[in-house]
Amino acid sequence: MKLPLKSYDTNQQIFFAAHYMHHWWNPWNVKWFTGFSQTTYPPLPQQWTALLGHIFGLQYGYMLVQFVAIALLAVGMYRYAGIWVNERAASYASLAVVLLGSESFLVYNAGQLATTWEAALYVLALPFLYEWLRYGGWRPLIKAVVLFAAAGSAHDVIVIFGTAFFTFPLIALAIMERNEGDEKTTSGAVIARAVAIAIATAVAIAVVILPYWIALFRYPVTQAPIPHASRANFLLTPFWGMNYFIVPWGALMLALPFIIWRGAHNRRLLPLMLGFWVCFLVGLGGTTPVALWLFRRAFYVLTFERFTYYAEILSLPILGLLMSELVARFRMKAVVPLAVLGAITCGLPIAWANYQPTNSINLRVGPVAQWLNRGGHDNYRYFTLGFGNNISRLGVETDAESVDGEWYSDRRLPELMKFGGGSLDNSKYFHPGGMEALQAMLRHADRYGLKWIFVHDPWYDPALHFAGWRLVDQIDYGAVQVWSKEGVPPAHPMVFGVEPTHWQDMMWGILPVGNSILALLLFLIPDKRRLVRTGEDTGATDEPLVHERLAS
Amino acid sequence: MKGTFLAIAVAAATVILIAVGTIWPIPSAVYFAGSGNGNILRSPSTPEIAIQNLGIRIRQHQLPAAYKSLANKAEFTQLAFDEDIDGFYTSLRTQATLETVSAQPLHESADQADVRVTFHWSTVLGPYNETRNIHVVRNGNNWQVDWPLVTRPSVPPQVIPVNYLRWDVIYSGARDEWGSQNVAGPNVRIVDMRPVNRAEGVYVLGELLNDDVVPAWVDVRATLVGKDGRILGSEDSFEMISHRLLPKQVTPFRIHFPDVDLSQVASIRMHPESILISASADPVIAILNQKYSALPTASLSGQLSDQSGQIVNFTHVLTTFYDANGNVIWVSGRFIGRALAPQVPVNFTVPVPEDLAQKIRSERTIVAAYSPKGVAL
Repeated sequence: MKLPLKSYDTNQQIFFAAHYMHHWWNPWNVKWFTGFSQTTYPPLPQQWTALLGHIFGLQYGYMLVQFVAIALLAVGMYRYAGIWVNERAASYASLAVVLLGSESFLVYNAGQLATTWEAALYVLALPFLYEWLRYGGWRPLIKAVVLFAAAGSAHDVIVIFGTAFFTFPLIALAIMERNEGDEKTTSGAVIARAVAIAIATAVAIAVVILPYWIALFRYPVTQAPIPHASRANFLLTPFWGMNYFIVPWGALMLALPFIIWRGAHNRRLLPLMLGFWVCFLVGLGGTTPVALWLFRRAFYVLTFERFTYYAEILSLPILGLLMSELVARFRMKAVVPLAVLGAITCGLPIAWANYQPTNSINLRVGPVAQWLNRGGHDNYRYFTLGFGNNISRLGVETDAESVDGEWYSDRRLPELMKFGGGSLDNSKYFHPGGMEALQAMLRHADRYGLKWIFVHDPWYDPALHFAGWRLVDQIDYGAVQVWSKEGVPPAHPMVFGVEPTHWQDMMWGILPVGNSILALLLFLIPDKRRLVRTGEDTGATDEPLVHERLAS
Repeated sequence: MKGTFLAIAVAAATVILIAVGTIWPIPSAVYFAGSGNGNILRSPSTPEIAIQNLGIRIRQHQLPAAYKSLANKAEFTQLAFDEDIDGFYTSLRTQATLETVSAQPLHESADQADVRVTFHWSTVLGPYNETRNIHVVRNGNNWQVDWPLVTRPSVPPQVIPVNYLRWDVIYSGARDEWGSQNVAGPNVRIVDMRPVNRAEGVYVLGELLNDDVVPAWVDVRATLVGKDGRILGSEDSFEMISHRLLPKQVTPFRIHFPDVDLSQVASIRMHPESILISASADPVIAILNQKYSALPTASLSGQLSDQSGQIVNFTHVLTTFYDANGNVIWVSGRFIGRALAPQVPVNFTVPVPEDLAQKIRSERTIVAAYSPKGVAL
C-alpha cells in the first residue's frame, strides 16, 4: 500500500508539505541551507498534501494527492484524445494512461508528485485550448487559462519547456480544420487566438506564482550543473538505458512503429505524431543531441525522464486507436494480450524500483531526530552523510537546522553552489565536485555553527578525522555515528538570498490553491456540445462521431 | 505513398540522430560513459587509446573487463589485479574514484611503447595522483597494456609484543554531556608561529606542543585583524595538523587565508584548542631514509615503516621546513595512497614550493594516522 512512499523524491515532497502544514503563511524554511524560500518551487501539490495532511497525516495525504493526479490525468486524457481520435479510442487511451510505464515510474520510482500534477492539469486544459483556437469564445479561454495556471503552479517544466510539444500540434490541427463544420474560421484567427491565449496564460501564471518568478529572476540558476543520468547516452551506458528507456516505455515500445506509421499516413494525426516524435527524441536525453540543441544551457539543469512521460502522453491517442482497432477486430484474443502488456508496462517500474531501489538505505531517523531535539543540540547546525533521501524525513522530525538539503535550486551557500555536487549527504557519488563541496563545508564549520555530522556511511570517516572532527556518540545501536567539532559557536540566523516579503507570503498562501479550486469549479461547469469531425480519417469505427466532454 | 515516405524519413532521422549522439556523444553522455578526459571506449589502435580505455574501465569499476584487456593477464589473477587497483587493505585507494588518466610517451616502436601514465584519483581526502611507467604492446591491429602489477606485501608470521603507553579517559558526565568535559583541556602551547605571504593568500605557519602529561585532541585557529580593526578572516588548521597529540609531542600547523594579502594584516590572534582524549602510542610509524632534494622538483622523500603489528589504513605525512636560522618557512603534507602493512616500507614524497627550495636547510616530519575501529582490513 505504501509503495509510493519509497520513491526517491517522496520524502522531499513531504518535507515541503510539512513546512506548509505548520507555516502556511511563511514559505521561508530554515531547516535546510540555513534558510531557503519554498517560493522557488511551485507549491500546489505540496500545499494540497499539507491540507489533506491535517486530516489523514502527511504520508496518506501525499498518496491521496498522488492518486488524485492519476485520476485527473485519466479524465484529461479521455478529453484530450477525443480531439484526435474517436470516442472509443479516446476511452482506451484514458484507460492506458493509468497503466503508463512513465506514470508508474514517476509515482513508484522517482516520486515526482509535481510532475504528475502538472501533466494532469495541463492535459485537462488542452481540450479547452483547442476549442478556443478553433471556435473562440470566452468560456474555453477562461477555463484553459485557469487550468494552465494551475498546471504552472504545480510545476514549471511543462509550461516552459513542454508546451511546444502539446500546443503546436493543436494549433496545426485547428488550422487544418478551420473550414470544417458549421463554424468556420481562418488561419489568421487561429494564430491570433494562439497568441492571445499564450499572453493570457503567461500573465495568469505570472500572477498565480509571482513570488516564484521574483525568486527566479533575482537568483537565476547559476550554480555548477549537477550530473543527472537522464542526460546520459542510453546505448553507451545500458544501465541508464534500462532505467530511463526500457522501464518507462515497457510494452509501449512495441507500438512505436505503429504510432509513427499511423501518424505519417493520417493527415489529422500528423501534427500529433510530429510533436510526439520530437518529444520522444528529447526524452532520450543524451542519446541524441536533440535535447541539447533545443534547450542549450537549460539542458544541464533539466532532467529528461519527464519528457519521456510527456512523449508517452502524446502517443496515447494513437495507441488508443490501435487498441480499439485490435479489440474491434480480434475481441478477446486482443483484450487478453493488451491487458497483460498493460500490466507488464505498469508493473515493470515497480519491479525495477524493488530490484534497483532508489531509496535503499534502511535507516531509522527517529532516534537521530530525538538526539537533535534534546539537550540543546539544536542550538547548532548539522548535516548527514550516507542517509540518502532520509534527510528529508529527518528534516520533518527535527527542530534543528541543516546546512544541507535536497532542493538544489535554492541553495545559496557558496560551498554548495560552485562545485557541481548534489547534496553533501551523497557527496561521494559526485566526484570530484561533491568531495570538494564536503571539504569546503568542513573547512567553514565555524561560520555556520555546524557542530554535528551524523554518519551512516563509514566511507567518510577519514575525511572527518583529518579535518579535526571527533566521534562523540552513537545512535540506534551504532547505526549512526555522531561526529563533532570543538570550539564551534552556536548557530545564528543567516540569510543567503532574500526572504519573501509579507505580501509574497500572502500571495503564496492564497493564489495557487485558490486558483486550483477555481479551476476545478470552472471545469465542472457544463460546456455546449459541439460536433467535431473526428475519426473520419482514423477509420477506427463507424460510430457517431460526437465529441462530448466527460465532465460537462 | 507520401505517408510511407514520411514514416521512413522519421525512422531514418531517429536512427541517424541516435548514431550521431553515440558516435559523437555530447559532454553529459561522455561523463556517464567515459572518463573525465572526454573520451569513451574506442578501438585501441594506439598505445594512448589502449591506456585511456583501461582508465575508463577502471573509472567505471569494470575491473573484469579491464583485466581481460591486459596483454600480460596470464601472469597474475583477476584478484591480484583488483587488489592492485583497489588497494590491498582499506586505504585512500579503496575510497577513491579514478577521474582522469594522462599519458606521456617515453618510447615507441612499431610493436611496443613505454608510457609514463599518471592516474588522477578523486578520494575522500581530496585529489591523489599516482604515476607508473607502463609498457604497451601491439597485438595484431590492437594495442594492449602490459600492467606493472604491484603485489600484496607479504610479511612472515611473527609475534610483535605491544608495550606502548595508552591513556583511557572515563567521563563522569551523563550520556548527554559528551564533549562538555568537566576537566580542563590539556596544556598546549604554540612554540613557533609565522605568517607568510604568497600568491594564494596568507599562510600562518607554526608548531604546537602538547605541554601536558595526557594526550590531547588539538586544533589551532587564527584570526587576522586588519589595520582598521576589522576581522579579515578566521580559519583553522583543518587537515594541516596532527589533531591527535601525545604528551610532549609537537605538530606543525598551516592555516590558509585565501584572498588576503599580508599588507592588509595588522595583527593575528591565535587560538589553540585542546581537549582530553583517550589515545595510545601504538602504532608507531618510523620514518626512514629521509632525503630532501631541491632539484629537479623540490620535495622531501622517504619511507614509512609500520613498526607495530597492526595495519594503518590512512596516513598523513606532515613536514615542517626550516631555514638556516631555524625559522619555520613552510609546512607541507601528503596523504599516502596505500595502507601501511606491518614492517613493509612505503615510499612517500612531500612537495615543496619551488621558490622556497633553496632556502630550506632542515626539516622535521611527523605522521598522523587513522584506522577506523572495526574496519574490515
